[in-house]
Amino acid sequence: MKMLKKLGVTLLGVMMAMPVVQAADDELVVYSGRSDKFVKPVIKAFTKETGIKVILHSAKSTALLNKLKIEGERTHADLYLSNDAGNLQLGNQMGLFQPLPKNIVDVIDPQLRAEDDTWVGLSARARVLVVNTGVDTSFVKSVFDLADPRLKDRIAVTHSGNGSFIAGVTVYMEAAGVEKTRQWLAGVKKNAGGRTFNKHSKVVKAVASGKRAVGLVNHYYIYRYLDKKPDAPIKVIVPDQADGEIGVAWNVAGIAVSKYSKKSAAATQFVEYLVSEKGQQLFAEVNREYPVRSDVAASAVIPAADTMRASAVEMATLGKQRNATIDLLEAVGMP
Amino acid sequence: MAAIPLLFVIYSSFQLSSERWVALWDTRLPDLLANTVWLGFVVAVGSLLLGVSSAWLIARREFVGRTLAIWLMVLPLAIPTYVFAYIYTSLLSDEGWLGLAWQMLFGDSVAIPDIYTGWGAAFILSLAGFSYVFLLARTSLLQSSPSMEEAARMQGATPFEVFWRVQLPLLRPALAAGLAVVVLHVLSDFGAVSMLQFQTFTLSIYMQMEGRMDNQAAAGLSLVLVTMSLMFLVLERFFRNRQRYFSSSRARKFQARKASGRELVVIWACLGLIALFAFILPLVWVLHWSWQAWRADLIGAEFWDYTRNSLVLGFVAATFTVVVALPVALYHSRIRSWLSSCYLHLSSIGFVLPGPVVALGVITFVLTQMPLLYGGLAVLLMALVVRFLPLAVQSQEAALQQLTPSIEQAGRVLGAGPLENLWRVTLPMIRGGMVTAWVLVFIDVIKELPATLILRPIGYDTLPVRIWIESSEEMLELAAPAALMLILGTLPALWIMMRAERAR
Repeated sequence: MKMLKKLGVTLLGVMMAMPVVQAADDELVVYSGRSDKFVKPVIKAFTKETGIKVILHSAKSTALLNKLKIEGERTHADLYLSNDAGNLQLGNQMGLFQPLPKNIVDVIDPQLRAEDDTWVGLSARARVLVVNTGVDTSFVKSVFDLADPRLKDRIAVTHSGNGSFIAGVTVYMEAAGVEKTRQWLAGVKKNAGGRTFNKHSKVVKAVASGKRAVGLVNHYYIYRYLDKKPDAPIKVIVPDQADGEIGVAWNVAGIAVSKYSKKSAAATQFVEYLVSEKGQQLFAEVNREYPVRSDVAASAVIPAADTMRASAVEMATLGKQRNATIDLLEAVGMP
Repeated sequence: MAAIPLLFVIYSSFQLSSERWVALWDTRLPDLLANTVWLGFVVAVGSLLLGVSSAWLIARREFVGRTLAIWLMVLPLAIPTYVFAYIYTSLLSDEGWLGLAWQMLFGDSVAIPDIYTGWGAAFILSLAGFSYVFLLARTSLLQSSPSMEEAARMQGATPFEVFWRVQLPLLRPALAAGLAVVVLHVLSDFGAVSMLQFQTFTLSIYMQMEGRMDNQAAAGLSLVLVTMSLMFLVLERFFRNRQRYFSSSRARKFQARKASGRELVVIWACLGLIALFAFILPLVWVLHWSWQAWRADLIGAEFWDYTRNSLVLGFVAATFTVVVALPVALYHSRIRSWLSSCYLHLSSIGFVLPGPVVALGVITFVLTQMPLLYGGLAVLLMALVVRFLPLAVQSQEAALQQLTPSIEQAGRVLGAGPLENLWRVTLPMIRGGMVTAWVLVFIDVIKELPATLILRPIGYDTLPVRIWIESSEEMLELAAPAALMLILGTLPALWIMMRAERAR
């Protein structure tokens, strides 16, 4: 029984020595649903400039939003960062955020932030098509062509639980109507041939390897793949650009200050830095997204923002219509 | 305490209106039920085949490299299911090692087996789970007294008949316990099924919470899952209860027979094949990518913090869990009553409830009942104890059941009080079982992902959390070193367990 006693003593020792994990007064806590490595460069620059430390607490955007909601005023989070405007808008509707000062956010297009300025977009991504250059896909001009019977078993899409997929469908539903979207989904389901992908990177890979002819992805996944394999036989199609078509679907990654943050001044300062020219360059460039300030240039490899027409759907709609979208997806039985 | 998440689930699902229940039934339930039961069954059969055959070969034959073989059968426990699934999706892709090997063997005409299917998920979960069956079956085979087998042989039974009619029935309590652990792992598994997109209850519950932020529908589904698991557990208990075997501790130990040359080849072919897929291939893959990371200088100082966090968490949580589990196991194995069974089944709920649901239940409870505890490790510890309590109860109870009551009675007759008896007789006798319980919980805790992801204190990243973060961005070079550390981190724990076994 000596062993047991020893164990008890060790245990007590460990518990005593256990670091009390609590953010210090001058540290900001960010609940982040965005990949660490795309946030760290800008945080490093911010800390260097202001001396304010930032702790990233990463998990799924939606899980963190759930957590923020349950925690209420006891939350340790000062900011909430998500890759999906839908989550930010839902958080706003649940009353989890506080409005940002007008003078900070008005450098950003009103379409890319909340009506009441409780959240602000930081970088934009386009929902584009990736095609294999080795097969004839000249008839594919619109996302709605993904339901074309000629593409039977030849399209690659992510499963319908994917946040970007849901946000895209919300845009189509708003811009083209529920009925058209329903029929389109049924066609996509058929053309996907019972096989969806759990990651966008795998969609691009399936198209590059020739297993599938067309895929639906966020634009930066294509360039990420081309980084590794510059000779891959794939190209980007920016869909729905003709007159009368809906324009390409957009989504933004954005940030909000928690309503119960005890360091709102520092938190606001962080947001101010993120929307500044320098912050925008760092934040958008690392993932080759489009900066939300028109005076900051996007990466040169992606199609210039002014050459494409974006859909007129407001970002806030992505949150307001999310449940309606999921209802539709379930009614169709999207895998 | 174990009932907190259950109460949360029941409460939330009461808020679910009857129309929503009907809608759930129409859209999801039948498929989910079929998928989940099917997966549980196939994995049970798979782990039984792998676990019993390897345990029998190792326990009954003496051969070169036996210790190594034991280790190879246990080591797969160190690999979490999401890492398993991740590695195999990578291995079986066009440019993966297995993919290339397949094309070399069969040419382009035969497609590489698709792992994104139910069979794929069953394959992964069997590899990840059979070690539980192996461990318990082996312990039981070593402890069973040889006299029964010898008697059967003298009566003219063939070796196969001995196995089928004597050893297998004797093994039944161990197999039932092992299978229960495996099936409960399957029911609550989130890592592999989400990676492979196989719709089970856990995945669907997660989707409801994620996509819709619909905690009520998630709770409704959880309730169905819990009911199902309880039915399974009662069934398992029923099979186990019908027979109980005691062996006196003074019985002769088994002398394993030396394997002949031909047997040696067969044994190593069998075990080697299992080990290749269950451990060696994944390990080599992880080493390969870790080496890439090392060369590219990607491993920074914070990496060691993640490792330390994981180990501290595992240590503290495992100790707590074993201590909490002991009274439950003791109570149930000594006093059979309606109440004790109730306790036991209640304590197994944490294991079958999906991690995110346990996490939400615990957060809600702590915030409303004891808000001062919020923010530190306490919440996470609580959730982990709730989740892994049944694992500790199972293995301690298995040890308690093999303890002949007469030994305890002797202690009492000799004048020891109940507490002294517990301390000086029972605990030393079941030390092996307790150590096994501790190690099993430790390993599960440091592999645990969904609850840790939600409940960890701010900035307290553990290895699985990092694996999740890096692999969701396809950063193999960063995910692999974390997986490697996870495997290395479990080694000491496994070593302690094996040493305790040998000492017995």
